[in-house]
Amino acid sequence: MSAVANPTQIVKKNYVTAIREALFEEMALNPDMICQGEDIGILGGAFGVTEGLQAEYGASRVIDMPISEACIVGSAVGMALAGKTVMAEMQFIDFISCGFDQIVNMMATYCYRTAGEVNMPVVVRGPAGAYGGGALYHSQMNEAWFCNSPGLKVICPSTPYDAKGLMKAALRDGNPCLFFEIKELYRKREVEELLPEEDYVIQLGKAAVRRSGKDITFVSYGQNVYHCLQAADELAKLGVDAEVIDIRTLVPLDEDTIFTSIAKTSRLIVVNEAPMTCGFAGEIIARVSEKAFEYLDAAPVRITRLDTPVPWVKPLELYVLPSVEKIVAAALKTVKY
Amino acid sequence: MSRASGTASSEKATTSRDVPQLRPRDLLSKDDCLEIFKQVYLARYFDVRLIKEKRRGRLKGTLYSSHNQEAILVGALFGLESNDWISPIHRDMPAFFLKDIKGDWRRPDRFGMSINEVCAQVWGKADSPGRARDNWSHIGSRSKHIIHSTSMLAGTIPVAAGLMYADRLNGGNAVCVTFNGEGSTAQGIFHEAINYAAVHKLSVVTVVENNQWAYGTPMELGCPTSDVADRAKGYGIPGFIADGQDVFDVYDKVMMAVEHARKGNGPSIVECKTFRAYGHGDHDDDRANKYRPQEEIVKGRQRDPIGVCRRTLMALGYLGDDAAELYHAEGKNATEATNEDFPPEVVDFLNEGIEFALQSPLPAAEEAGRWVFKEDN
Ligand SMILES: Cc1ncc(C[n+]2csc(CCOP(=O)(O)OP(=O)(O)O)c2C)c(N)n1
Ligand SMILES: [Mg+2]
Repeated sequence: MSAVANPTQIVKKNYVTAIREALFEEMALNPDMICQGEDIGILGGAFGVTEGLQAEYGASRVIDMPISEACIVGSAVGMALAGKTVMAEMQFIDFISCGFDQIVNMMATYCYRTAGEVNMPVVVRGPAGAYGGGALYHSQMNEAWFCNSPGLKVICPSTPYDAKGLMKAALRDGNPCLFFEIKELYRKREVEELLPEEDYVIQLGKAAVRRSGKDITFVSYGQNVYHCLQAADELAKLGVDAEVIDIRTLVPLDEDTIFTSIAKTSRLIVVNEAPMTCGFAGEIIARVSEKAFEYLDAAPVRITRLDTPVPWVKPLELYVLPSVEKIVAAALKTVKY
Repeated sequence: MSRASGTASSEKATTSRDVPQLRPRDLLSKDDCLEIFKQVYLARYFDVRLIKEKRRGRLKGTLYSSHNQEAILVGALFGLESNDWISPIHRDMPAFFLKDIKGDWRRPDRFGMSINEVCAQVWGKADSPGRARDNWSHIGSRSKHIIHSTSMLAGTIPVAAGLMYADRLNGGNAVCVTFNGEGSTAQGIFHEAINYAAVHKLSVVTVVENNQWAYGTPMELGCPTSDVADRAKGYGIPGFIADGQDVFDVYDKVMMAVEHARKGNGPSIVECKTFRAYGHGDHDDDRANKYRPQEEIVKGRQRDPIGVCRRTLMALGYLGDDAAELYHAEGKNATEATNEDFPPEVVDFLNEGIEFALQSPLPAAEEAGRWVFKEDN
């Protein structure tokens, strides 16, 4: 644990450190926990999330795997069968497609098809998200694939505090969790914050209200939360008071916090950077339409990536992604609806 | 931990076939051999120059250096027919313009990418074949017979196999050479695709660039045997081992695999033993100097493919004794090497490409919405 925490000095921590601390602490608390992935041991991970972990806990618990996402996930299932808790890293979340069958068919269904005999304490985590010029295969947000596969919990933190607390909760949850880390936030100074010295978890399925407002509700997760907050600042200058909700976990979803907000604002914009069709923004709007329709005074709006891959060069990348400008424009239209 | 790089002897060369009396290289003319030498320089210069451009802040994206592995690219491509196919990956950037480059490097009708296209791609400009939608090595060209890769390692081998199946149906006799690192052989699709190719005797030559490391993971944590070529036995296909530092040994082994395929006998694996000179990508250069022992790095870079080639040509009498003094790139890293260390035609060739890339426009932002589906016209 000493490798990451410095108890004598209280300093703000970044997002990547928060996740690393969660892994160090859970490895210390749970001798049955294993971490595995490509280049996570000797190298300490492509993004340094597991830096020092192998030195601390040994190569038999922190495993450098052959380049096979299918095997990284599938063998985690086997370890879970033997009572282990496993953190399985995808070097980029984009590569999770190579392990897809083992996740959605083997791991996700294990509890269901064994009538609860077997549960799967496995967290599949990895760097996700665009805005960094990573192009088609280093930018994806493919969370919807997994939200559409029953048996998986899906988590996407936007702050260091949440990243640590949700990671610990996921590792203790006993169910397979997919943990989408926003790589653009890993070392971003602006989001650093003080983390509690003591052990804490954040309950899965609890949203956070990041800004309260009365005129319109923005619902988002991941780095788009910051776009929403910036848009809210812009809108405040124009006399529009926006509320920003960070759902933090997609499955399970905290509907109550969303409905309570809409009861107040009567207007909804959902922002996510995944493509629009069958994306999670659509799911949120569907639930609001079914269960909170009478609160709405305006048609709800999705601001998402266009239904395209994420192209490489900056002007193209920005063209397809949600932006502060797009949110502000949509909000101004929605409040006049 | 034995990761002897570049020490593969030619005797161990074939696990399934004997070395023929007359080696493919014995049929090369003096001009061919000198052209090969120049191409090794060209591949090296491309790498050195791009590293310098990146350090000057003129390039974005990750640079996966092919330094010390140039003999594999040149040796594997030199003997191919124009209409053969290739499938390069992240460390093979020079392969895009080395394909079918023999003769006049600027020939517009050749079956390889022009240096202009490759540079436009590297610089992310509209004149890149993929209009800068995806980065660096993720390009290709159907008309130039280069398969377009994604990031997903080993992902093009089944594509190559299907392509060769269809080519045969179409009455063709092409061969497809795919490139992969030794680490990528752990992917299921590597086995699935070669298995399929072997069942149908498809003309797929899988070149494995065994540079001993997959990012920060040494070979022995990814591969259970020290020779990747051993996997060939399981499919009943030839598994060749080449000295990846020796362009002529690579040429021999790849040509034997190509001839095997051309006769309708199906796929092979050609493992080329080499060593990754730098970090996995340029972002990893500093760390790679820590996670890899210094002795291993020094040893792995001892046999510069330029020097190995030069010595062969001198022994053949194709280069005079003063050739050693001609150019000085041999053994130099990207910081040490300068333009003066390379043949002027090599420098000029790349200069033209870079000039072209710099003046090529960025694609218009709205293009991002196009070609999700086929467009008629
Ligand atoms: C399916 C998949 N998993 C992980 C990666 C990340 N990745 C890119 S290159 C690489 C190492 C490849 O090693 P090797 O095949 O030996 O090729 P080398 O880089 O050494 O040339 C890894 C893990 C990827 N691109 N695709
Ligand atoms: Mg390698």
